[in-house]
Amino acid sequence: MWYEIFKFELKYRAKRLDTYIFFLFIFLFSLVAVDFVYEGVDFGLVKKNAPIVIAKTMGVITGIGMMVISMIMGVSVLRDFEYQMESLMFVNPIKKRDYLLGRFLGSFVVLLFIFSSVLWGVILGEYMPWRNPEDSLPFNLILYLQTFLYVVLPLLFFGAALFFVSGALSRKLIVVYTQGIFVFVLFMLTKAIKNETAQAILDPFSLTTLSTMTKTWSAIEMNSQLIPFNSVLLYNKLFWLTIGVIALVIGYYRFSFNVVKSKTYKKKSEIIQSKQEVLSKNIKVPTLTLDQGYKAQCAQLIQHSLFYFKSILKEVSFWAIVICGMVIILVNSIGLGTVYGVNSYPTTYFIVGELQEMSSFFFIIVLVFYSGELIWKERGIRLNLIYDALPFSNFINLAGKFISLMMVYALLMTFLIVSGIIFQTVNGYYHYELHVYFYGFFVELFPFLMWYTFISFFFQVLVNRKFIGYILVMTFFILSMALELFGYGHVLYSFGGNSLGTYSDMNGYGHFLFPYLIILMYWLAFFLILFIITAVFSVRGTDTRLKTRWRLSKLNFTKPLFKLGATAAVILVLLGGYIFYNTNILNTHWTSSMKEEFKVAYEKTLRKYKYLPQPKIVDTNLKLEIYPSDRNYSVEGYYMLHNTHKEPIEEIHVQKLLDEQVTLSHVDFGSEAKVNNEYLDFGYTIYKLKEPMQPGDSLKMKFKQTYTTKGFKEKRTDTKIIGNGTFLKNNDFPSFGYYMGYELRDDDDRMEYGLTPRMSKSKRNDPIEVVHAWDGDDGYEINFEIIIGTAIDQTAIAPGTLKKKWVEDNRNYFHYKMDTPMTNFYAMVSANYEILKDKWIPENDSVSKEVALEIYYHEGHEYNLSRMMESMKMSLDYFSTNFSPYQYQEMRIMEFPRYAEYAQSFPNTVPFSEGLGFLLDINDETDVDMAFYITAHELAHQWWGLQVVAANVQGKHLILETLSQYSALMVMRQKYPEEKIQQFLKSELQRYLEGRRGAKKQEASLELVENENYIYYRKGAVNMYALQDYITEDSVNIALKRFIKNWNPFEDSVKKDRYATSEDLLGYFRQVTPDSLQYVITDLFETNTRYVNKTKQSTYEMVSDKQYKVSLSLETIKYRTDSLGVEAVIDMDDWIDIGIYAEGKDREDELIYLKKHRITDKATALEIMVHQKPTKAGVDIHHKLIDKNSDDNVKTLIEKKR
Amino acid sequence: MNNLIISNLSKTYANGVQALHDISLDIPTGMFGLLGPNGAGKSTLMRTIATLQEADQGTVTLGDLNVLTQKNDVRKILGYLPQEFGLYPKISAEVLLDHLAVLKGITNKKERKEVVKALLYKTNLYADRKRNLGGFSGGMKQRFGIAQALLTNPKLLIVDEPTAGLDPVERNRFYNLLSALGENTVVILSTHIVDDVKELCTNMAIINKGQVLLKGDPLKVIEEIEDKVYQKTILKNELESYKQEYNVIAEKLFLGKPIIHILCDNNPANGFTPIKADLQDVYFSQIYGEQHGTK
Repeated sequence: MWYEIFKFELKYRAKRLDTYIFFLFIFLFSLVAVDFVYEGVDFGLVKKNAPIVIAKTMGVITGIGMMVISMIMGVSVLRDFEYQMESLMFVNPIKKRDYLLGRFLGSFVVLLFIFSSVLWGVILGEYMPWRNPEDSLPFNLILYLQTFLYVVLPLLFFGAALFFVSGALSRKLIVVYTQGIFVFVLFMLTKAIKNETAQAILDPFSLTTLSTMTKTWSAIEMNSQLIPFNSVLLYNKLFWLTIGVIALVIGYYRFSFNVVKSKTYKKKSEIIQSKQEVLSKNIKVPTLTLDQGYKAQCAQLIQHSLFYFKSILKEVSFWAIVICGMVIILVNSIGLGTVYGVNSYPTTYFIVGELQEMSSFFFIIVLVFYSGELIWKERGIRLNLIYDALPFSNFINLAGKFISLMMVYALLMTFLIVSGIIFQTVNGYYHYELHVYFYGFFVELFPFLMWYTFISFFFQVLVNRKFIGYILVMTFFILSMALELFGYGHVLYSFGGNSLGTYSDMNGYGHFLFPYLIILMYWLAFFLILFIITAVFSVRGTDTRLKTRWRLSKLNFTKPLFKLGATAAVILVLLGGYIFYNTNILNTHWTSSMKEEFKVAYEKTLRKYKYLPQPKIVDTNLKLEIYPSDRNYSVEGYYMLHNTHKEPIEEIHVQKLLDEQVTLSHVDFGSEAKVNNEYLDFGYTIYKLKEPMQPGDSLKMKFKQTYTTKGFKEKRTDTKIIGNGTFLKNNDFPSFGYYMGYELRDDDDRMEYGLTPRMSKSKRNDPIEVVHAWDGDDGYEINFEIIIGTAIDQTAIAPGTLKKKWVEDNRNYFHYKMDTPMTNFYAMVSANYEILKDKWIPENDSVSKEVALEIYYHEGHEYNLSRMMESMKMSLDYFSTNFSPYQYQEMRIMEFPRYAEYAQSFPNTVPFSEGLGFLLDINDETDVDMAFYITAHELAHQWWGLQVVAANVQGKHLILETLSQYSALMVMRQKYPEEKIQQFLKSELQRYLEGRRGAKKQEASLELVENENYIYYRKGAVNMYALQDYITEDSVNIALKRFIKNWNPFEDSVKKDRYATSEDLLGYFRQVTPDSLQYVITDLFETNTRYVNKTKQSTYEMVSDKQYKVSLSLETIKYRTDSLGVEAVIDMDDWIDIGIYAEGKDREDELIYLKKHRITDKATALEIMVHQKPTKAGVDIHHKLIDKNSDDNVKTLIEKKR
Repeated sequence: MNNLIISNLSKTYANGVQALHDISLDIPTGMFGLLGPNGAGKSTLMRTIATLQEADQGTVTLGDLNVLTQKNDVRKILGYLPQEFGLYPKISAEVLLDHLAVLKGITNKKERKEVVKALLYKTNLYADRKRNLGGFSGGMKQRFGIAQALLTNPKLLIVDEPTAGLDPVERNRFYNLLSALGENTVVILSTHIVDDVKELCTNMAIINKGQVLLKGDPLKVIEEIEDKVYQKTILKNELESYKQEYNVIAEKLFLGKPIIHILCDNNPANGFTPIKADLQDVYFSQIYGEQHGTK
């Protein structure tokens, strides 16, 4: 019997269009899924069809497909109720078992058919034209089948069982629509579980599971190893399969063949017997004035909107979605503006950003489902004929429904705002910026939802099928987001325009707001027209054919609608024209391919001048006028140029900043020069000097440069000169010769244009590059002087000593001059600042002079100023004592808006992003003081970079960044206990391991590091710490002192024909390292060496009251990666920390033994006597050595009885 | 007054079913009964007049109004009770009626309150006005339906099979409601129950298979077959042969035995007795007679 039902189900589904549409939907999504899921993720060496990528992608598709599973499985029993077939069905002599089994298996087979498209889609996705064959491994069918079997199938069964049962038991269509979302919510909730294993097992889509399993895999492992179906993955799948089976069992027993559910039955009994009243015939129905005028229509619209608004609020499903959303937000709203594990204060823009991100998913669900529900509301309950015969226009009808949804959004947003404010209050932050809440929700998120609601209404009306409408809207979502990610389009036609842009406390929404609002109006006009079309075509009555609706549309298109539409069209054209005028006529609109082509042309045309000898700047003297409110500046002045080469210079190649707002004029060399404008397109002008510059000659180059903002651009890239927080650098001004920075970077793109891969750094022994400084080399030692004029309420800062300050023409002027030569590397900032001043007085004033300390900050950002100030002082103390004296007379930190989040060290000035350290809410108990650390790091650059100049070759960042990391760590150690340092290093090790996973190339050693920041920052910090641990801090500092002394080109005694390289640095390290530890230098800097350090079963034994014998069993393996990237075990003869803990005060661990032991074997047994009862012990307890798994180094000891 | 004039109205559905075939009717004010079996095209005709369906051919006018194109003007004076409809389960009768009143254009709050109250009284729903519509019985629902149709004192009232599924008490109540309507209104009542027309209508038409078979005053059409209807109680197995021989217009069971009515100009004798014709016989003579005639 069940087989008959099974067959019927298959036949029924085979005839349904839905089945094929779902298939197509999932197939199309699967085609692009890898690119969609991994959008923005750097694959590095991992291939796009590596097993882990396939597995995760399939997991995500199935996860998103939960909705489809629900729609297939949920309706298979529900259908009988929906079509009121149940009485006919259940009266038949079929057994419950047969009925349920047949229906379930039938639907499940259909489901398998639909989801087989995952397999085909992902497979074919490999061959899509946007995929680069080099990113893929050879095709492997088994891999796909296996992944489908492991990842997709169990998930399908779980979903199928659960949804089948809930659909059958609830007998409500809305349950079918929404239950997929609840599983998704469940998934989001598991993300909050702290325990990694528990999270991996409980994740219904097993995404976390897969991540956990492959956490420590290298790229090669990820490419070559199939995902093993064991441990957590197996448990995960078993767990969810069990849940599925339990659901089926419960469903089987709870399902009843009764036609009415017991609950419904109760309801029916409530049916009221109409009270028998005498019919009051004498009641007169009053005569009425019917009003259909403008006012009446407004009243109708309001009534209508409120009516539906209330009706949505009455939906249980709506509240279920809202509550789920709230739960997720509550669980997640912890990480706000986190910098190195430290949270920021809950400022409003962080809260708004988080809330937007987390709520948008739920808004989209509400949008898609309830726009469909509203459109279909009357038809759903068959009130439509009564409704349609009412004398009110389609437009009012749709508009009312539309507005009711808008009201729902507004209500939810108000909720979110209130909960945001509560969150801030609870966290002790009382600076509620209501306008930021308002803009974030009502000016940014609201229009976005509005556009999609328009689209959803349009699709629902046009296709006139609810499910297909849903699918179309979803597809549209995915497509438009994908297009946006790929960077196509222009605000005029890329859906809904741009987002509002970053909010900064300093600059507000700045110049982003005006164009945003204009574009908003433009799209509003567009959607109004679309909405009129929607209204005109909406179904009224029983004729739903498009042909009839087309005919009727002419009747529906009434005069008022025509007027409205015409007005909207005029506004659309006018605003569109205005936008186009701004983005494409006042400014040039660069598409990404145009940009690429330009870069390619630049490289191909001008590369020949790459190493053309050019003069060096020796003096810079400028007058800069900044006009913040107009976003303009002009700069006038001169460079003094010097020919440092051995041959005469005939041509001076001036490169203007490639920015069309910038005009360079009045270039004058004081003598005659022939201007060659051949490369003007590239802002590249060649001045052929009539009299060549002889070696040693100097020449004054005068110039004037202006920056003029015209209208607005399509993309918001201009954040250099803004209302409050202008930030300019020396490279905004003219430079000399071919500029490598303009080259196309991505190697894949370069291949397409026939360019060879770009070498990010030259070889360390490259004879040309070692004479170039790290920052390009238009000049190294310059005398710098600048006058900056800015708005009356702003302070401008540049390197040097403030010589004079005055007001002229209601503008502030500042004159800075650096009294010692400095590198050609300077920043100029201007903003409305508060200033905190202090002084550093050296302990030993024979070594250093007094230094004025200043922090320029935005009002309200006082939180961490004292930490920064203290860090400046302690850094100056430590560095001037241990390395060399500080070279300038003042040290300044200047806050700049959070459009970029970094801090950068220029001579005696450090621009510091407001998003980096100013707003951190540092808890000294639990957090590492990152404001202190970053400040120390930047100050260290006053030595590493501004005193020692690294050559622009491989390994330069070992000198610049790794040494700064080391220096900052040492300063931090002056203030904070060792545990903080350990905490920091452990997270640096994690970041290194993470960065390593995304690596594109063979991992370089520290001495040859190029631009891999996970190596020079993260591994650098860990390894430098290990170095000082092995050879002592003093020895390292002695080496560094010598290094500076011999390689500081500003010292007259130092005159070298090249800049320092990592080879030089390591030489100094080796000098101070005893022979027994020379291997450490090799391990840490010259090779990629890692360890597996593990403590196995270990015991202790009480010998006497004060004598305990600890027996340790250790595993230590040392690996090294050779130049080909092959990792192999190498012999070891290393000194490694062995540590033993006891229980100290307050039950905390107390280290009672720490000593380096010489270890030579993979397995080592040690016996150590201690005087206290030990608790834990282990190897490399402080994680000084690179080890992928740092959790197994220490183990709890077991007592061995005699 | 303004008559509703339907001329040459035809409609064929996409699946090929011809629902209306060249229908012409002149419907004066007062109650008009549209009689026909299930599937005759009554609802299609009603929907077309109620502006909810397009016709392929023909016109419908009400006074100066072209019903097929000036839809919104027609809707202003229209009251419509569809054959089948649902109501929002979670709101009360009063709220929904008020809502519909606004959409009909009664925007004056006071007036609206009055009219809603009056109609709820009139339809005997006042006591239950606060109840959710989900708990309404079929009769109450139907009364609510008529209340909404009467909201604006319509000039054209269309009620499609209003008594289907109602028990006799509810049906009576419903008749009372309808009959109390003013004489200025064109009321079209479609039904397949002959009694409905007999008790209420001053004019009527019988349609079947999309065609008008008969139109006129119920009393007059009965007159036409006066003295031509005979009845006889027969045996079950004789039915077929009687059907062959006579123009059988109705067959029904009485105490388990078939009674047939035949239409005959002269007394057929053979055990037939003359009876007084009623509308039922007219109806059956049209419907069955036609079938018989096509044999």
